[in-house]
Order: sequence, then C-alpha cells, then structure tokens
Amino acid sequence: MQHHATATGLGPATSLSGTATLRRQKQREYLRFIYPTIFLVGLFSFLPLVGMLALSLTDYHLINGWGGTWGLQNFARLVLDARFLNSIYVMLALSIGGVAVQLLVGTAIAVGLDQIVPRWKIARGFFTIPFAVPHVAVALVWLSLFTPTLSPINAALDAVGLPQPTWFSSQTGAISAIVIADTWANFPFVMLLILAALQGVPRDLKEAAAIDGASQLRTFFVITLPLLKPALLLVTLFRFIETLKHFPLIYVMTKGGPGRSTQATNYYAYVQSFENSNVSYGAAISVTLFIFAGFASFWVARINSRINS
Amino acid sequence: MIDRRTGYRFALGRLMMIVLLCFALLPVLWSIVLTFRPKISLFTPIWEAPLAWSLDNFGALARSDFPAALINSLITAGGATILALIVGIPAGFALAKGGLRGTFQTSWALLLLRMAPPIGIVLPLFLTYLNLGLLNTRVGLTFAYMSLTLPFVVWSMWTSFSQIPSELIEAAAIDGATLPQILWKIVLPLSRPGVVAAAILGFLLAWNDFFFALILTRGQTATAPVAIMNFVSYASVEWGAIALATIVLTLPIVPVIMFANRYIVQSLGGAVKG
Repeated sequence: MQHHATATGLGPATSLSGTATLRRQKQREYLRFIYPTIFLVGLFSFLPLVGMLALSLTDYHLINGWGGTWGLQNFARLVLDARFLNSIYVMLALSIGGVAVQLLVGTAIAVGLDQIVPRWKIARGFFTIPFAVPHVAVALVWLSLFTPTLSPINAALDAVGLPQPTWFSSQTGAISAIVIADTWANFPFVMLLILAALQGVPRDLKEAAAIDGASQLRTFFVITLPLLKPALLLVTLFRFIETLKHFPLIYVMTKGGPGRSTQATNYYAYVQSFENSNVSYGAAISVTLFIFAGFASFWVARINSRINS
Repeated sequence: MIDRRTGYRFALGRLMMIVLLCFALLPVLWSIVLTFRPKISLFTPIWEAPLAWSLDNFGALARSDFPAALINSLITAGGATILALIVGIPAGFALAKGGLRGTFQTSWALLLLRMAPPIGIVLPLFLTYLNLGLLNTRVGLTFAYMSLTLPFVVWSMWTSFSQIPSELIEAAAIDGATLPQILWKIVLPLSRPGVVAAAILGFLLAWNDFFFALILTRGQTATAPVAIMNFVSYASVEWGAIALATIVLTLPIVPVIMFANRYIVQSLGGAVKG
C-alpha cells in the first residue's frame, strides 16, 4: 500500500522530508473520502454492536424494563443453560453438515461444468437460479417438498410402493431437511467461486500432466485441487459463518422443533429476546456468536492480505 | 488437450451432472406447478389429474398485501443500496489508492460486520427505534439495511479499485486533476463491472433479508419476504400464492444474475482472484 510514496510527481531528486509532507497531505485528502462511511458505519453498525454488549451486562426485559443490576449474571446463566448448550450442538451440526454438503455439491458442479460438460452453457445459467431466491421462499418451497401429503417426491415413492421419508418428526430428519434446503440455496455461491478459481488454473500445467500420462482424475487431485486450496478455504469460512447465522430456514421450516432439536444458537437468541422478552439474555447469546465471528473474520482478513501481498 | 471424453468414467460424470441439474431445478419446476394448481387438486399427484390447472393464485396474490410489500422492498433495499454506493465508493477508492495505514484492521472490521450475528445489530436498533419512533418505518429499515450494504460495497469497491494501475492516477494528478475528478472521470469508468456487481449484490443482501424486516417492520411497512409469511396460518397454508410470490420475487433477479455472472464472480469473495 506504500507504492504511493512517489505519487508527488517531483521525482526522486526531492528531499525526503518534502516527499513525506506531500504524502501526508495526500493521505489527509484521501481520508476525507472515508469520513462519511466511518460516520454511518459507526452509527448503524458499531454503535448497535456496542449496545448489544452493554445490553448483555444488564437485566433489561422488554416489558419489565431495567431492574437496575449490572454484571456478568447473564453469562453465568449461559454456562449452566442446557438449552444454550443444546443450541450450540445444533448450530455446529447444521453448520458442519451444511458446509460439507455444499462444498461437495458446489465443487462437483463447478468441476463438472469446467471439465466434463463445458458446452452446457444453459446449464450454467440454470445452476445459478437458486442464488436469486430469497431464503424465506427457499424455506417455504422446500417445506412444501418435505410435507408428506403435498410433496411430489412422496407421491412418486408411494406410487412405486417405496417407503416415504418423514422429515420433521426426528432431529436427524429435521436437520437433514434444513441442510438440504440450505445446500440448494447456497451451492451456487460455492460453484461460482470455484469456477472462477478453476479459470485461474493454467491450462498448460494440466496439458503437461496429460502428456506425462496422468489420468484426468489424477491430474485433478494432484494439480487442480491443490491450486483450488485458497479458494476452497475462503468459501468454507464464508459459508461456515453464514450457516452460524441460520434464521429463515429454521423459522419457517421447523420453528426450532421437533422439541428443541433444531433450535440453533442464533434462533435461540431470537426466542429469548422476542418470544420470552428477555432481551438482555438474548444479547448475551449474541455476544457469544459475535466472538465466533471475530475470530473467523480475523482469519479471513489474514488469508486475504496474504493473497493480495 | 488430449481428448479423453470417452469411456465409462466420462459417462458417469455426465450422469452426475444430470442428477445435480435435477436437484437444482426440482424446486423451480415444483413452484411453477404449485402456481397453476387449483386448491382442490393440490394434494392429488400431478399424474392423476394432469389437466387440473387454474389462474386463481394470480388474483389471490394481487388482492393480498404482497404488491404493497413488494414496493416496500424496492424502496428500502434500493434506498440502502444507493446510499451505500454514494458513501462507499469514495471510501473504497481511498482504501485502495490512498496509501493509508491500518488497511488490515479496516479489512478485518469490514469482514467482521459482514459476519456479525444480525441479531446483535437488530436488537439494539429495535430498542432505539422503539424510543425514536422509527419502528415500522421505511426510513428506519432503509438505514438498518445500510448496515448490511455499506460494509459490503466498501469491501468490493476496495477490491476492484485495487486492480487499477496507480500510474494512471498519478499521471492525472500531475495534470492537475483533483481527487474527486480522478475518481469520477478515470477510476469509475474503468471499474464499471465492479460497481455493477457491488450494486447488484448489495441490493440482493437487503432484498433477500427476512430477519431485519421481521423485527423492525409490521403490517403496512413489511417487506415482501415478510409478507409471504402472511400466506401461512395455523388454519391453512396458501401454497399456490406462496409459490407465485416466490416466482414474482425471483424472476426479475434471475436475468440480472445471469447477465452479471462474470462481475459477480470477481467480487463475490473479493479475495479469490486478488
């Protein structure tokens, strides 16, 4: 980022201190471009986040108001809250399951489009459609596909005499249902990024491997896949964080049920805040999620700066 | 490349692609079917009553709150995007070309905002709006959406402006152009794909949102994703109207995404192609 040091137009003959002054002047001019963003992001993003932290230290209740105590009591309660611990388990199950399946499906489609059926131009378009569907709609359409009396899948299975799956009566079934809907909505994200990375793989590398007699499958695993690693890592992190924030899918498809078996942490924070009116406790739950996000974003920023430098 | 597009392995690959294509298209085709099925034959398999179809859902959707909610969505998501572009483009420019310190910390902060749990932002906003009378207003929701769109726009514009050679800017500066002139006349025209992608994806962040609108709006000011839920009640679910609403929400976005595919790929992760 320092390559601008010589942007003064005075050339290398100028004295060092003069260049430095001019550079600082330039920087000040650039800084003015950032102030509006700092102001708005501060007001509508950072201030609320600070508010969340402050709220988590109170006993604020949506109806009863503030009881007057400060402290870490919400966090002490979290540690002993079986529903909270359950919600973390559910969240991780949804995230790890979801990301694994999405990565597999998205990468398979990207590699397939790039190497098996490069002429299926329309298919490429079809594969991006789910990207355009709002998540509430995704949840509702998949809910209809998972409703036994309505679903064409169940009807077809019934017609040929096969057993019909029931999705929302067990934890495994309900989590699978959410993972499937989430995969459908988000594999295009994985696909698009992996496609972009695949286009960056030099063709002559693959050709050299082919001339050396390597099979296409071997070429993929030995040459292409290692080159996709940075892209795969970034996609994984982005998707992982997004799946931690699951809301519409749970809200529409299961409402956290059966029982509390799909009540992931973000949804649990919503339940505590807006169904139980326990906003300070909801804020404490959000703080734990925020800490997750803090670590993950730091990691992505590190990867990103390494790629760019 | 040596042609190996024969043999069972390749056939297997094609089969896999066909299966995956069916997975991608099944919900789409199913929504279309649901849209045109009359209520009474909803629960009959298609092959038992293939000719039962109706246009009732179009009337039902038109009479519902959905059209008004669609306009609310357009206003709030559009407003938040325009605001984010006006404020975020100069910021992205300064971050990419200003030679400023603290760029790593800034990129971390921007990513953090993108990854932070929405409830952490919505909950305090909800309590503040409650006191300021901004709850259930389009203005309030627009500014709340800006907390989604602005960090994203800054991040993607930063990425695309970084690809512009600094020499161009330096040359213009020597010729006496001011920074706003450089941005407007030189940098922006060169980064049009980046701006398009940032605008489209930023818009979609807000357009697709459910959570913010669920908490911050109600009734008259609800957005389309929230209004769809009005078709779900304990007594019954209006599957046909839901499917049609889904198609209405998705259809305008599909060609945009297909058109902007290339640009989107470049700025999606922001980092994959540096």
